[in-house]
Amino acid sequence: MGDKLDRWADPPLLVLASLAGEPKHGYAITQDVAQTMGVRLSAGTLYAVIARLEAKGLIEPLESDDRRRPYRITAAGASALAEQSARMSRVASLATERLRAWATA
Amino acid sequence: MTGPAPSATLPARVVLALYPLSWRARYGDEVRALLDESGGGARAVASLAWQALPAWIWPPSHLHDRPARMRASLATGLMSWSFLAGLGLVFAQLTQFQGYRPAGHPVIGWCYAVFDAALAVSVLAAGLGGLPLWLLMLRRARRDRSVPDLAFLLAPVAVPAVYLAAVRVTVRFVGGPGGVSPWWFLAVTVAGFGAAGLAAAGPGLALRRLQPRGPALRVAATAGGVAGAAMLAASAAVIVAVAGLCLWAPGFAGYHHATLPGVFLALVAVAASVTAVSTARGVRAALA
Repeated sequence: MGDKLDRWADPPLLVLASLAGEPKHGYAITQDVAQTMGVRLSAGTLYAVIARLEAKGLIEPLESDDRRRPYRITAAGASALAEQSARMSRVASLATERLRAWATA
Repeated sequence: MTGPAPSATLPARVVLALYPLSWRARYGDEVRALLDESGGGARAVASLAWQALPAWIWPPSHLHDRPARMRASLATGLMSWSFLAGLGLVFAQLTQFQGYRPAGHPVIGWCYAVFDAALAVSVLAAGLGGLPLWLLMLRRARRDRSVPDLAFLLAPVAVPAVYLAAVRVTVRFVGGPGGVSPWWFLAVTVAGFGAAGLAAAGPGLALRRLQPRGPALRVAATAGGVAGAAMLAASAAVIVAVAGLCLWAPGFAGYHHATLPGVFLALVAVAASVTAVSTARGVRAALA
């Protein structure tokens, strides 16, 4: 997953995490990311990320009569998100464990 | 696509125009809808402007097929490369050909040498790399008996030949012992840029009409990258040399006027940027 997301690692992760809940269009993604993860994604960053994720097959657009086209995460996207989440959990556990040892030393 | 949103802010519309056409066709309406809902604002406009350049340099692969990307990059790159080569020849005419080297500043001489070598590499790479594709398209145009395509493909040979013949005749009539007057030099230079544009536009139009694919296209796109990189080196040498002449030899050939060298360097910078972006996109598609 790290290789797939390369230098856009952070915003793509946020977008994938947002779409893991349910399909959303651009504005809904920015709202969800801001409310649940505390990060404000700008329009330029969001659509740069959407274009990359779509090109890599990690998300896909849904049909819409509206200008606001919703996107959903694909199986490849879910797998990539799970892999990166597991890696981040391992880093977080390790950091917490070592900080605890450092505090008691 | 449901047409542009009338309520999208003017700065956002302007900024969206900076994106490639294929990107706007795919995402333009969605971005306008997002701006309508979020209210746009300076941050959104700034972020869209910031992301426009990566959209050109690393275009999302699903928006273009690779051959179309290579053809578009070759057509654009050829135009900007020709313009840059023209600017380089103007530079050579106004510096090297006068034999001027300011004493105590060997960097000017080094720049002349770098320019010559880089220009030679660039022309060689463009010529040799583009030849198989040019021959492929020429064969197809002959087979189809397409006169417009034949004319487009022969433009890089015919237009410079006509231009050089016209310059020769003109100089014979208007030139004196010291060459032509500055106004005639300007007229010949402007006509030269026009001729270079016509010569470069021909193969670009043929690429669009004949839509070639295959190894010859990949070779041409890769060679275009080499030619573009060499031309960037030549441009860097031009920029250093002109800036150096302005600083160290203001009495030579009008370099005490900041405006003309400034305009010239700005044109070199713009043409070099377009060449770099378009050839990089072509190479990326060729090697993908």
